Amino acid sequence: MTSSLSRHLNAEELDQFAAEIDALRATAMADLGEKDATYIRKIVKAVRYSNAISRGLLMASFFPPAWVAGTALLGASKILENMELGHNVMHGQYDWMGDPTLNGKTFEWDIVGTGDHWRKTHNYMHHTYTNIKGMDDDIGYGVIRLFPEQRWKPFFLGQPLYAVIFALLFQWGVAVQELRLGLLFKGKKTMEEFKVEFEPTKRKMIRQLVKDYVFFPLIAGPMFLPVFAGNFIANGIRNVWTFSIIFCGHFTQDAEIFPKSVLQDESRGHWYMRQIRGSSNLTGGKLFNIMSGNLSHQIEHHLFPDVPAWRYEGLSVGIKDICQRYGQHYNEGSFIRQLSQVGWRILRHALPSKVKQPKLVNTNTAITA
Amino acid sequence: MYNNYQSVKMWEHTLNQNAPLQTLIQSVFSPTAFDFWASHLNPTWSWQRPLARIVARRIAAKDCVTLTLKSNRHAQPFLAGQHINLTIEINGVRYTRSYSPSLLPDQNRVFTITVKRMSGGKVSNWLCEQTQIGQVIELGAAFGDMTLSSVYQKHVFLAAGSGITPFLSLIREWVAQGALGDVTLIYWAKTKAELCFIDEFSALTAQYANLQIHYALTQEQPSQVPQTHIAYERLSQRLLETFVPDLNQRVAYACGPAGFVEQARLLTQEQAKDFYGEAFSLPLVANDSLESVNIHLTKSNRTIRVASGQPLLAALEAQGLKPASGCRMGICNTCVCTKQAGTTEHILTQARDHEAGSSVRICISSARSDLTLDL
Repeated sequence: MTSSLSRHLNAEELDQFAAEIDALRATAMADLGEKDATYIRKIVKAVRYSNAISRGLLMASFFPPAWVAGTALLGASKILENMELGHNVMHGQYDWMGDPTLNGKTFEWDIVGTGDHWRKTHNYMHHTYTNIKGMDDDIGYGVIRLFPEQRWKPFFLGQPLYAVIFALLFQWGVAVQELRLGLLFKGKKTMEEFKVEFEPTKRKMIRQLVKDYVFFPLIAGPMFLPVFAGNFIANGIRNVWTFSIIFCGHFTQDAEIFPKSVLQDESRGHWYMRQIRGSSNLTGGKLFNIMSGNLSHQIEHHLFPDVPAWRYEGLSVGIKDICQRYGQHYNEGSFIRQLSQVGWRILRHALPSKVKQPKLVNTNTAITA
Repeated sequence: MYNNYQSVKMWEHTLNQNAPLQTLIQSVFSPTAFDFWASHLNPTWSWQRPLARIVARRIAAKDCVTLTLKSNRHAQPFLAGQHINLTIEINGVRYTRSYSPSLLPDQNRVFTITVKRMSGGKVSNWLCEQTQIGQVIELGAAFGDMTLSSVYQKHVFLAAGSGITPFLSLIREWVAQGALGDVTLIYWAKTKAELCFIDEFSALTAQYANLQIHYALTQEQPSQVPQTHIAYERLSQRLLETFVPDLNQRVAYACGPAGFVEQARLLTQEQAKDFYGEAFSLPLVANDSLESVNIHLTKSNRTIRVASGQPLLAALEAQGLKPASGCRMGICNTCVCTKQAGTTEHILTQARDHEAGSSVRICISSARSDLTLDL
């Protein structure tokens, strides 16, 4: 047996489990309408207003409190744009509206990584193969070892430091994730191939840099340096926040990791179960939900990535109930608690560690009573 | 009216010549952001989207509403007799339908559409009941071949129900061009109360001897007093012979439900000099007895035949196509495409979608009718 806090479910139970989750989903989908449209347009409005106000405040940086407020608000605005608007729209959560400005396939966001790369690494790879070792690159992004199942190398001794750097530069890490720089360094990819692949990202990076570090500082005239610094810090605030929310979503103490073998003929029920066991929620209020792009309900997000995220809080009631009845651990805790568990993983697995009880168990195999 | 559109294009062209400037503009400017702020000042201001504001609304007849719209500078030109797509949002969802616009004489960028309420007609009912002055509607490009062929030509127009709207536009255009040649219109409706534009038509027939208008009412008892321009029957050979004895000198146009237009074509094409017909397009409805359906792929310009009920992604792949795909279970949105026509069914929920223009994830949807996809 595994060290999982969750009960093993046989194939029949998994089918019932899936049917119950599908039913919850169907109820939410049938209810889509005006409420969701109004909500997301309010978010768009909040993003545009907060962005404009923060840029205005930064122009008035000769008055120091304006600089502080502008920087903080710009960071918050970017967080809201990236998480509650961009991330959720790009999942296709609002495609049913038919609004070309809220289309999942074409939306572009205020971050150096391109929407197209994100759609591939995140929507497809991470959401389909969540917490499967060797398939889901989000498990440490190739620089951080988070589970004893990952092979230890001396390189990981430095990971407490890498984690800090990675958090500060998170948008850059995400931007190059799909480029697979490792292959380039290992010589498995030529420089020419890399250049072609890098082109769209390069263009996006230049645009973002020009906006935050050339255009806005220049039009601020004598306030060039304060605006430059404010934009730099705002991007940093967003980076650290998104890093923290994302790492809390899958790498808390009780989050589970899976071997590739689970993918063999994986049933819908097993896929749902894997999403629940590999994800963890953060408790907080309404504002926390919004500012985390509702990834405070990471479990619900992984079960229903295409359902408008503001509905996750409501859906969580039904999911908790299902989890309880099927003996599945519903991993939730305060932000501080979950974040310190992630921190502990980063520290602990910098050093060699062994799987105490075999966590990498193929839960597809039947158990004998 | 269209100069602004051209100047935007030219401006974009100039930008393409200047890479650093282009990078700068692209880094700080987006049409979506422009539209957001511009709409605060004027709801129809937009960088490139053709929008129109409802400026007047009146009852045209029983169950019929005429809306007067004023478009912004991005609206494409249309010819009398053509249709344009209107897009409105109902309960958070955008719907697109075609209507026949009629330009108002001497007014720049102002046109009318007349909408008839229909049972189950989501958009027409919304337009009839929910529209308010000030609301903004998105426009599409104009299309349709039923335009005025030549001013010297003799025409016969056959209209059924709301099929009258392109003919109102054509007759106004015919008048604007000098009312040369000759026009006969036969206009069918169920009852007299449902006839639209009769005041305008009476005024025009009084003014122009070469314009004859006949009404045909299919669900009303014949009047005791004989009226020369009113009949009480459906389209028939006999009725045509009565109202249009010189059919062989005329070009015939017909607009209305598909059955009506087909009947008009059969009755006139032998004799009339030419025939143009436009039928209300009905959505391709599901037919469960179909074993296989045609999928037309617009980007690759191919039509393939697949088994109905099979997941579309798998069906396309079996034909050697490689559409973008990811999770194959309906969650990652990689395979999403726009369905321009047809009915699809969600494989898990069995929910059906008949709406043109909706997003479809092909890995988790099957065809329930012939389909057009932008793949």
